Amino acid sequence: MSLAKIFSVSSRVRATGTGGIVVRHAQYSTPSEGKVEKVYPPSVSGYKYVNAEDPNMSMKEMSNRAAQTLFWTELARGFAVTLAHVFKEPATINYPFEKGPLSPRFRGEHALRRYPSGEERCIACKLCEAICPAQAITIEAEERKDGSRRTTRYDIDMTKCIYCGFCQEACPVDAIVEGPNFEFSTETHEELLYNKEKLLSNGDKWESEIASNIRADHLYR
Amino acid sequence: MSVGKILGLDKVVTLFNIIRQNGGIRASLYKLYRQDELKDGVLVGEDKFGNKYYENPRYFYSRNRWVEYSDKFNMDYDGSQIPAEWFGWMHYKTDLPPHQDPSRPRYKWMTNYNENLTGTTAQYVPYSTTRPKVEAWLPPRKSSV
Amino acid sequence: MTKADYYCSVKLSRCRCCQSKFFNESIRMLRQPLTRALALKSPTRAAPLAARCQATQIQPQPDKVEVFIDDKPVYVLPGTTILQATAQAGVEIPRFCYHERLAVAGNCRMCLVEVEKSPKPAAACAMPVMKGMRVKTNSDLTRKAREGVMEFLLVNHPLDCPICDQGGECDLQDQSMAFGSDKSRFTDIHFSGKRAVEDKDVGPLIKTIMTRCIHCTRCIRFASEVAGVDDFGTTGRGTDMQVGTYVEKMFLSELSGNIIDLCPVGALTSKPYSFAARPWETRRIDSVDVLDPLGSNIVVTTRTNEVLRILPRTNEEINEEWLSDKSRFACDGLKRQRLVTPMLTDSRGNLTPVEWEDAIVAAARALRDCPPEKLLVVAGDMADAESLMALKDLANKLGSENVCTEQYFPLEGAGIDLRSSYLLNTKIANVEDADFVLLIGTNVRFEAPLLNARIRKAYVHKETDIALIGPQVDLTYDYLHVGESASIVKDLATGTSSHEVMKRLQQAKRPIVILGADQLKTPEGSALLAYTQELALKVQEKLADKEWKVLNVLQRTASQVAALDIGYKPGVGKLLQSGPKVVYLLGADNGVVSRDQLPKDAVVIYQGHHGDNGAAIADIVLPGAAYTEKRATYVNAEGRAQQTLVAVTPPGKAREDWKIIRALSEVVGERLPYDNLDEIRDRLSQVSPALVNYGNVQDNNYFAQARALAQSLQKPISGKMDVQLKQLEDYFMTDSISRASPTMAKCVQAVLKQKQSSY
Repeated sequence: MSLAKIFSVSSRVRATGTGGIVVRHAQYSTPSEGKVEKVYPPSVSGYKYVNAEDPNMSMKEMSNRAAQTLFWTELARGFAVTLAHVFKEPATINYPFEKGPLSPRFRGEHALRRYPSGEERCIACKLCEAICPAQAITIEAEERKDGSRRTTRYDIDMTKCIYCGFCQEACPVDAIVEGPNFEFSTETHEELLYNKEKLLSNGDKWESEIASNIRADHLYR
Repeated sequence: MSVGKILGLDKVVTLFNIIRQNGGIRASLYKLYRQDELKDGVLVGEDKFGNKYYENPRYFYSRNRWVEYSDKFNMDYDGSQIPAEWFGWMHYKTDLPPHQDPSRPRYKWMTNYNENLTGTTAQYVPYSTTRPKVEAWLPPRKSSV
Repeated sequence: MTKADYYCSVKLSRCRCCQSKFFNESIRMLRQPLTRALALKSPTRAAPLAARCQATQIQPQPDKVEVFIDDKPVYVLPGTTILQATAQAGVEIPRFCYHERLAVAGNCRMCLVEVEKSPKPAAACAMPVMKGMRVKTNSDLTRKAREGVMEFLLVNHPLDCPICDQGGECDLQDQSMAFGSDKSRFTDIHFSGKRAVEDKDVGPLIKTIMTRCIHCTRCIRFASEVAGVDDFGTTGRGTDMQVGTYVEKMFLSELSGNIIDLCPVGALTSKPYSFAARPWETRRIDSVDVLDPLGSNIVVTTRTNEVLRILPRTNEEINEEWLSDKSRFACDGLKRQRLVTPMLTDSRGNLTPVEWEDAIVAAARALRDCPPEKLLVVAGDMADAESLMALKDLANKLGSENVCTEQYFPLEGAGIDLRSSYLLNTKIANVEDADFVLLIGTNVRFEAPLLNARIRKAYVHKETDIALIGPQVDLTYDYLHVGESASIVKDLATGTSSHEVMKRLQQAKRPIVILGADQLKTPEGSALLAYTQELALKVQEKLADKEWKVLNVLQRTASQVAALDIGYKPGVGKLLQSGPKVVYLLGADNGVVSRDQLPKDAVVIYQGHHGDNGAAIADIVLPGAAYTEKRATYVNAEGRAQQTLVAVTPPGKAREDWKIIRALSEVVGERLPYDNLDEIRDRLSQVSPALVNYGNVQDNNYFAQARALAQSLQKPISGKMDVQLKQLEDYFMTDSISRASPTMAKCVQAVLKQKQSSY
């Protein structure tokens, strides 16, 4: 038995003789010795037979299979693959030090934004509350001292939120946005019940990134 | 192809370069312990926490930019310690590091970045931002005799 | 009728010197034959006669004419407008200015429809139908006309829907979605051509954002026709047209809140409710108002267990679709000064919060230890029939008959035994059919604003004349002031006076007499009631219409009729002087019972929802539910039983009132035999079936008997009549809820401030 046979990826692949394709044409019907009669429907052009086929029962094939089992060639092949990967560059990233690419449209942790003057943008129109499919947003509003319409309560239950981004789509003033941050996991449930102050402070923290994301996307909306 | 490359000698050269760049064997071992990995790269910038950002296009995409958390974090480094300005660069949204990007807004109301504080005493605790719905009647106090 | 009749435009030009500019203001009054509404303040009143002729001309045309709405034949009376005809055919035509309870203005043009053989589209609201007219409500021309009108309206309407309180319930939003164009040709975003108008300050109830105004003039028509306050009008023409009070002035009316409902856009919105909620996030619960005796039907709008606002609910028999300001805006009082936990006085005499168990046990001990004749039960303004019933049963079981209401009513003669002597027998809806109204000792305008609106409606549309005996007050319409003395009633009743009023009463086909219940408090009250009965029934006897009732007594509070039906004695008078040991106040907050009238050791139990006069003198406080928090029965001044529904849960530890009494009875040891609402309502129907006959009112009879019983009481009377609520500022804070309401307090302040202004 040749080394090539021992280290072949799959005996099935080798048997097909086409290499690399497990599926093959159903009309494949070159009569080979000792092969049991096919029970699947006769060849129809354009269809492939994808089920496992019965093993070839010719003496040569049978002895090959017996040798592979007897000499634990699968084990040796497995070790070889493992050994090869030790010397390869890893396919994973080393997370807290390396981070994966992210779209400017990524929908992460929510934030309430402000105008450049520092005035909060939210005007309590409640469209986000209305559109929220998870009903995670709760808003209460009243007239502020200066007569402007502002929220007194803007709560998002981040554990209800499904991060669909409808709230930022609904917002007429770009106040509520789903920022880029996804590293806001907490140890307790209650920490994820965000209130207005938390959302505003998120906005104040993330404005640099939120603003550049919006700029990156402005041509497409 | 050079002989060295065939024999894998360039890899050895790289290894020595990496160890040199990381400050010798002792420092390299410490870094390996802390970061599980040793890499060489160009220092792109440093943020206000002292985190250092490196880049090396020799590594494939999404491994070619990395951060070395400031020593002050010790082993308590965390993904949320990268400030918002560096977030975009770190996540390959932009190739401009924040100090070379003039379009990033700097408003005076923008607050200092802080990491995810869950589990610490400074963690966020929700509270109501509204007045109570019903104001109860307080009976008039009679003379406090 | 010609078009000129519809557009009666009065052009006034005034000049005001302001920064050396002269303003030429043209004031357009858009209305129909309401000559009275117009002529109100004018010195000459020649109009009524002309109007009367007109009215008689129009009337006798019973034959219906056939018109075709979208090729569907409809038979309507001649004189109906296209819009009304299409409504009959089940087709709704968009409109902004048209409102069925107001005069036709025809100025928004939204109702344009195509009429076959007519060169131009016609305004459906103003165009009377003609025989064989073919109206097309969905043709291309009609659709194009609507789209065009919509486009014009939107050109000058700001795009501030996100901050507009009308958003979600805005006619303009809805109709622009349904009938407007799907694209805009408005490109003028930088040029300042878009209209902007300065907001007006019309008081603490109505917020004006006049840029949003589309000049439908509904508010103007409401003010001059229904509210009877001619403060609103338009100035300027074309793009400079502005709706407002001509000079900055508060809208001094007790019905002002209705213009918020009328406004099809967000130009007039509610100030207390401003920015509070969106219509889609609120729950609406049908209920009944208890702040005045009429029991107006309301919708309580709630969200997260909080009453946000109160809106009128259409009931043609009571409030049509209006609501008085107190009923509408006092709802923020439901969130202030509330009793949220039972309280007991501690050793220092201070009320301190306790658990229910302690309070109930303390109250039960007080009741048990009290000799029956020393127990006094006083029911207040807003007690519901169920709790009144339960409390009376409890007192009776304890052997006491001393159950009374705060409001007095004479017991002599027929007294409270015959329902006809304490109700509005004519019924509210029939008041507008009256042709002569005699008011005795009442300021209907503030005691029952919507009854006054009905009288005004009769005055404006039916040429009804009104006479008043009692203090001269502004009733928003002209009336004949007969005098202030109560003896006038006696003179009229006994026939010794030949005053004009008597002649008018006798000539009238459908006269009514309304007596204010407040006048009956005085010692002469029983005589006054007797004479009023005599007068009314004398007139009623001679009427051709035998079903018509003349005598009306206008109660002051929502609970009084139910209390009298159940068998409460009106007034505490003598009972209080006998030195009660235990006083059980059921929401009695009007200060009828005070500490100095009671013996030192008397125990006062207060059960109610607000910390007001009652709770302040109490030793034991049992927190009850307000009218928005319980399902309860109230009987209005005409004897109509209605029920409130639970809109929100009672705050804190407060509970439904009858349940508290039921629990108390268990601890006292005199268990009341009802455990749920149905059972207590069975008990109510045992006492009087009228109490559970919801929504209906029975005709009252036995007038003759009442009159006979009253004969002996006809003693000479001489006193001057006085009413409690004379001015608008008196109207706003009359009960524990409105006294706790910051909005009502602001109203009083604003009215007083307006009074000092020279306008």
